[in-house]
Amino acid sequence: MYIYDPVDQQVVNERVAQFADQTRRFLDNELSDDDYRPLRLQNGLYIQRHAPMLRVAIPYGMLAARQLRTLAHIARKWDRGYGHFSTRQNIQFNWPRLEDVPEILAELAKVQMHAIQTSGNCIRNTTTDHFAGIAPDEVVNPLVWCEIIRQWSTLHPEFAFLPRKFKIAVSGAHHDRAAVGVHDIGLQASEEDGVIGFKVWVGGGMGRTPIVGKLIKPFVAWHDLLAYMQAILRVYNLHGRRDNKYKARIKILVKDLSPEVFGEQVEAEWLRIKDGPSRITQAELDRVAGQFTWPAYDAALADHPDDTDERAAAEQAFARWLDRNVQAHRQPGYAAVTLSLKATGCPPGDVTADQMDAAADLADQYSFGELRVSHEQNLILTDVPRHQLYTLWQTLKPLGLATANIGLLTNIIACPGGDFCALANAVSIPVAQAIQERFDNLDYLYEIGELDLNISGCINACGHHHVGHIGILGVDKAGEEWYQVTIGGRQSGGADQAYDERGVLRAGGAAIGKIIGRSFARAEIPDVVEKLVQTYLAERDSEAERFVDVVQRVGLDPFKAGVYGDDAARAKEAVVQ
Amino acid sequence: MNVPTTHTETAHLIRHGALEFDTARVFATDAVDAPDRSLPPDEPDWIVPLSTWLTAREALSARLHPVGLLIGPADDPWSLAPEGESRIDASAWAFIAIDFPSFTDGRGFSHAQALRQHLGYTGELRAVGDVLIDTIYYLARCGFDAFAVKAGHDPHKALSALHAFSRNYQRGYADLARARGLPGGGAQ
Repeated sequence: MYIYDPVDQQVVNERVAQFADQTRRFLDNELSDDDYRPLRLQNGLYIQRHAPMLRVAIPYGMLAARQLRTLAHIARKWDRGYGHFSTRQNIQFNWPRLEDVPEILAELAKVQMHAIQTSGNCIRNTTTDHFAGIAPDEVVNPLVWCEIIRQWSTLHPEFAFLPRKFKIAVSGAHHDRAAVGVHDIGLQASEEDGVIGFKVWVGGGMGRTPIVGKLIKPFVAWHDLLAYMQAILRVYNLHGRRDNKYKARIKILVKDLSPEVFGEQVEAEWLRIKDGPSRITQAELDRVAGQFTWPAYDAALADHPDDTDERAAAEQAFARWLDRNVQAHRQPGYAAVTLSLKATGCPPGDVTADQMDAAADLADQYSFGELRVSHEQNLILTDVPRHQLYTLWQTLKPLGLATANIGLLTNIIACPGGDFCALANAVSIPVAQAIQERFDNLDYLYEIGELDLNISGCINACGHHHVGHIGILGVDKAGEEWYQVTIGGRQSGGADQAYDERGVLRAGGAAIGKIIGRSFARAEIPDVVEKLVQTYLAERDSEAERFVDVVQRVGLDPFKAGVYGDDAARAKEAVVQ
Repeated sequence: MNVPTTHTETAHLIRHGALEFDTARVFATDAVDAPDRSLPPDEPDWIVPLSTWLTAREALSARLHPVGLLIGPADDPWSLAPEGESRIDASAWAFIAIDFPSFTDGRGFSHAQALRQHLGYTGELRAVGDVLIDTIYYLARCGFDAFAVKAGHDPHKALSALHAFSRNYQRGYADLARARGLPGGGAQ
């Protein structure tokens, strides 16, 4: 965990005081609605369909047990007993009263948490790999870099009023699990001549104009990172479009200028400032790194008696959970365990206060009191001794946290949708539930294998539908809810297309899904997903070839024929002839 | 062309850390005050848009009462420097004002940084327009030292908002805590 020093604590405390004063002035009519709106948004406070919504940052997904207990307490005292993990390592409370928000923020500050810049046209909460720091394939631990970026971006005086929101993701590993290709800035760690640095991707994003980011700088040495990002932000702040909010993201500027010209402008600005005060010193890096506490691993656990494999051989349900929800750890004798928040019948990402308390206790008992929140809306116990996996699994089952579906079709990413969100065109949660109910046969789910299914209730794409292997988007047609389906999106992967160890050609980087055809009524969606899956099963070469690999190999046509029938296929042939 | 957003009736100016009455007026090229409708009369308190300055540099430089120069969001402060140079000659201006037609248009923050960090401007830098209690701290950190607080925002509160935070993270921006003589201002 990163532990605040007195400066960090004071900044957060003073922000709470500032926001309390802003809210009081608003309630006393000293601050107009128009003036208050951008200010409250920069503290994560939306006015939603039913009530205000407060989005709390979980910076780079790291969460201590005591922090999770505070979130549970907030859920009970000021909300309706639950919270919702978003797709950007935040937690949202859907029912607080505006008047109570300053008090909630004060409560958060006591456990070194805040809602700073979780919304608004500013630099948002920086996200990373949910296995950061423990993954075996890391070039560098990205958590320290995320904290350096958090400090730099927090209350940044020059970049508080950008043309539009700005999201940064950092990957420290060879295999990108942070979706760096669909962020305003994506940083992927690399090494050149023994120096750690980052590849810099700019202008990726989802929303209305989904696009994969462009590599504008193949290598920025670590000490230049903040100056280089300052240069990017400055060019964007000055030249990003402000006349049309739908064209205001940096991706439009990069596209309009061309990535080359944009890169040149950044380079020119960077050369002016690179040796100035933004240059990161070794002392600064050491200072931030020194504020982290790391688990005190027991090296002897590598040789600890461990009956996990025997248990798995004897009990298929445990074997499946191990296969799906347990991740390799770089420390011998340990494993990372994902607690699925995607049980059928529960809105994806929703967690009750009781579950939060239970997860906090489990973290204390099994995982050095630490957890992670993933952008796939699950909780992770990062440092579990391997020999305790079976006991942990048995404990998780009655809590509803042992659903063995990580990476499978029912691990659906979904935004809160029209049930809660004022922006949504359509509901998301009932669609997710209908799909989960259709695919409730575990044997079948396993046969299908890895499949990311993502649902967004509107074009803002909070449910990341563009990068789902199957993406479902709620659209409004003459006041009615309809759903558009895309396939072939992916959030990440290796840097380049390559054959993996199982001999399957895997595409590299992120990709935006393609629309398969006309949209559907809500009730049709489970059938459509079923047909897409059937087509995949018929087309695949082997079990190792995933849904998304098949789409990449054979294209959309077999899937279109599977969904719309041969008529559609024939009609297309007729046009071609 | 700048759209002026200050009004003479907006009375309060924070300058050098204290409150005073704001008597400055922005010269609009279609204003009746201008005898020849191209330049304001030679008297104190006029602020002229960058476009006016660029077309009447010689006449405005020769005045008894120097004008303030208004930079709008879409203007480029670098256009004030001679071609190929990164220093501006500020001797003919009373001050530079940067206009915020809306406080959510953050270009003025970067203009201030360009003037302070790259173009060597050390004179008064004044924020005008939609200047809120709530933005004054950021403005000051970006190099502004004068603030025409917008109507409806208590100027005394705006003055205290210069001390909204006693610690900051970003190096290279004004450290107000340190300016107040507090020990250990900013992240160590």
